[in-house]
Amino acid sequence: MNKAILTDVTKCIGCLKCVSACKETNNLEMDVPRVWQKNDGLSAENWTSIIQKPDKNYVRKQCRHCLEPACASVCPVGALHKTKEGPVIYDSDKCLGCRYCMMACPYGIPRYDWDRTVPYVRKCIMCYDNKIKRGQQPACTEICPVNATIFGERKELLRIAHNRIKENPSKYINKVWGEHEVGGTSVLYLSGIDLGFLSYGTNLGNKPLPEMTAPAMESVPFAFLGMGGFMLGLNWIIRRRMEFSKQQNKDEKSKDE
Amino acid sequence: MNRVRNTKLVLWLITGFATAVGLNRFIFGLGATTNLTDSTPWGLWIGFDVMGGVALAAGGFVMTAMFYIMKREEFHPLVKPAVLTAFLGYLAVIFGLLFDLGLPWNIWHMIIYWNPHSPLFEVGWCVMLYSAVLLLEFSPVPLEEFSRYAKIRNFLMKFRFVFVLLGIMLSTLHQSSLGSLFLIMPFKLHPLWYSNILPIEFFISAVALGLMMVALESQVSHWLYKRKPETDLISKLGKTVVWVLVTYFLVKFIDLTVSGKLGLITNGSWESFVFITEILISIIIPLIIFAVPRLRNNTKTQWVGSFMVVFGMVFNRINVGGLTMLSITGDSYTPSWMEITISLGVVSVAALVFLFAIEKFHIWDLKPQDPESLPHTAPSFDYSSHAWLGTPDVSSLTKYSLAFVISFAVGMALMPESKLQGKGIEIVKVSRASGKDTLFINGNRDGNFVMFPHKDHIQRIGQDQCIKCHHLTLPGYQESSCWECHTSMYKVVDFFRHDWHASVNGANIKCEGCHKTGVTRNSESAKKCVECHPEFKFEKTQFSIVKKYYAPSYTDALHKLCVSCHIVKSRELKDKTNLAQCTTCHKSEMPERLTVNLKWETSLPHFNNVILPDVDVKD
Repeated sequence: MNKAILTDVTKCIGCLKCVSACKETNNLEMDVPRVWQKNDGLSAENWTSIIQKPDKNYVRKQCRHCLEPACASVCPVGALHKTKEGPVIYDSDKCLGCRYCMMACPYGIPRYDWDRTVPYVRKCIMCYDNKIKRGQQPACTEICPVNATIFGERKELLRIAHNRIKENPSKYINKVWGEHEVGGTSVLYLSGIDLGFLSYGTNLGNKPLPEMTAPAMESVPFAFLGMGGFMLGLNWIIRRRMEFSKQQNKDEKSKDE
Repeated sequence: MNRVRNTKLVLWLITGFATAVGLNRFIFGLGATTNLTDSTPWGLWIGFDVMGGVALAAGGFVMTAMFYIMKREEFHPLVKPAVLTAFLGYLAVIFGLLFDLGLPWNIWHMIIYWNPHSPLFEVGWCVMLYSAVLLLEFSPVPLEEFSRYAKIRNFLMKFRFVFVLLGIMLSTLHQSSLGSLFLIMPFKLHPLWYSNILPIEFFISAVALGLMMVALESQVSHWLYKRKPETDLISKLGKTVVWVLVTYFLVKFIDLTVSGKLGLITNGSWESFVFITEILISIIIPLIIFAVPRLRNNTKTQWVGSFMVVFGMVFNRINVGGLTMLSITGDSYTPSWMEITISLGVVSVAALVFLFAIEKFHIWDLKPQDPESLPHTAPSFDYSSHAWLGTPDVSSLTKYSLAFVISFAVGMALMPESKLQGKGIEIVKVSRASGKDTLFINGNRDGNFVMFPHKDHIQRIGQDQCIKCHHLTLPGYQESSCWECHTSMYKVVDFFRHDWHASVNGANIKCEGCHKTGVTRNSESAKKCVECHPEFKFEKTQFSIVKKYYAPSYTDALHKLCVSCHIVKSRELKDKTNLAQCTTCHKSEMPERLTVNLKWETSLPHFNNVILPDVDVKD
């Protein structure tokens, strides 16, 4: 049970129904342009947006729900976690507001309530509470009038995506975005244009990001005990040396006498 | 002792000012105080207060290691101040972090919710534990003053070696783990700073910084209290720091060479200049200063060398902590004056506590004379008024309190109103409206609504002319702007027809009838509308609570017009059953007549919603 979303950029007509459905389902409030927003349309009150590219390409931006999410791996209190259904969800009760998740996300997805005195991290949760838990599909895929964005099992969607490329190789770039990047994501894209602009740096590699910190974190106990051992050893040697030289001094003195 | 007093006075001034700004932070939130953005969520407070602060406090573990582990007895005079600096440094880090965290009251959550995969979790725990260890390490010093706690003190003294060892082990972990924080951002951090061995680089540089921070702190406090500088000790520290800096330099450059990034240093980007500056300040120049015996033993060059290492390494923390990510995130972050003030405030509070401890407790071999209790001279009088100005002791305390209060007030007064609202809104032109009988458009997003008689417009323009307003726009724009028609009050379409009021055939009012004489004639100098038209009085109108309302986009406005008819027709016409389906209209190509007037832009505007109040007009 690993649900995913497949967005076909070539099919999207840019009607913004998904954006408005998202707002209604997740009870997001009114939004106005703020100085701290990036110009990709996402904000604390906008969890999905349509980015318009030349030649009538509409790219829907949303959380990618990575299979091995960097945000969840870095959260010191585990406020973000990957559910078995697929979405990466957020527990506001645990959060302490360090914003490390925002730093770590390679897609720059999590947004912050900068204007609030009690701010939370805000991002797409694939309608986990309102839809997926009840066995329904997310509001965005449900409302899409042209089926440009669809919901289903990740494996099944990958099969569909590859089929579409095979049937129409001239229309698509031969790549399913999100199949392998950073260990795979639960939001997949098919497109006729390059989607590198959705992430920081055009090539993220296929290695899951949490693996970058894993070696450092695994060596923590060794560094801890190793340093302790090293210091004790050093202390022992130095003390022995000092005793030794004291002894020598005494011996020399006694000899002199 | 004027030097100490003046320094304290300045510190109190900064503290008062920062307290005002700090209040603003907790009342109005991060957006009101910082220049942080969604793409730069970590700024000065993390880079300087936390990452720099932890590194600056490294002196504690380095000096205890030198003294207790390596038995360098000559450093004894530096150990107590170093431990005190470390302890206060960690408290300052935690205190500074409270400003940066969005939900600072949840800072203790790390104790109950565990995520051992996170480097920050590890750093958090280490900082907590190490602060506790430092408290145990340091508390014998103040306990010395109270004889009734002698037992506790002796008990703590017995375990001192264990505390020292534990402190070194914990410091090793979190000094390096601060580097691990950034291992997960290879895509964001500039390659000159990103490295797989970032934790090791952080640890080595923390050792160098710790040594030099101890030196600098000794220099500053000796200058303050006009004592003889500990030149010999600092030159010994300098000898040690040479080895650490050489190791740091080698590790850094071998790593850069192995990963093939050497070319980036000379490619002329601004990052390369920052990198060269950082290396020069933090490594090369201090290395020269402390490697040459003549410079190493000179008090003045010692000042320069130790300051450069301290500054350079903190600069490195700031660079890693976000400065060198800016070109990749495409953001332009400069800390706001409020952020800088709070950072300075945290430092000055720590410095005040440090000076207090130096004066009250046995930290130096020779306690400095308490400057407040110094010369008990005769009370001074203001000769003109015969007013007693108090003992010098009292008057300095009064001065500090006054400094705090006044700068607090100045800080409060300086806070701009727009910052206090903290909504991060740039005032933009009114450009949106939407449709029912009468609309209230919060065009400037400032809570002041403009009444828009939609029904009247329909009647005036014509039932079937929705397209005039609703179809000039892009997907995502809600509707056309008012000012597209209402360009000036001299036009017929304006609600207030100026020319009609003035013309002989219209209202026939002379200029002086409305405008005051002798003043520039503009809307300011004119009568208010209600003075002649009492029916416009606003008190008669009442507003109910604002209800959440999603403004229909032009899409919705048109869908509701077209689709209803399409549905009827699809039932009537047997051969056009598809007429009501989306894909009938939404083909891959838009009809040309719709795209003619559209200016295609590369990015969409933000998806906005207009709050529409339920209007309840009571007559």
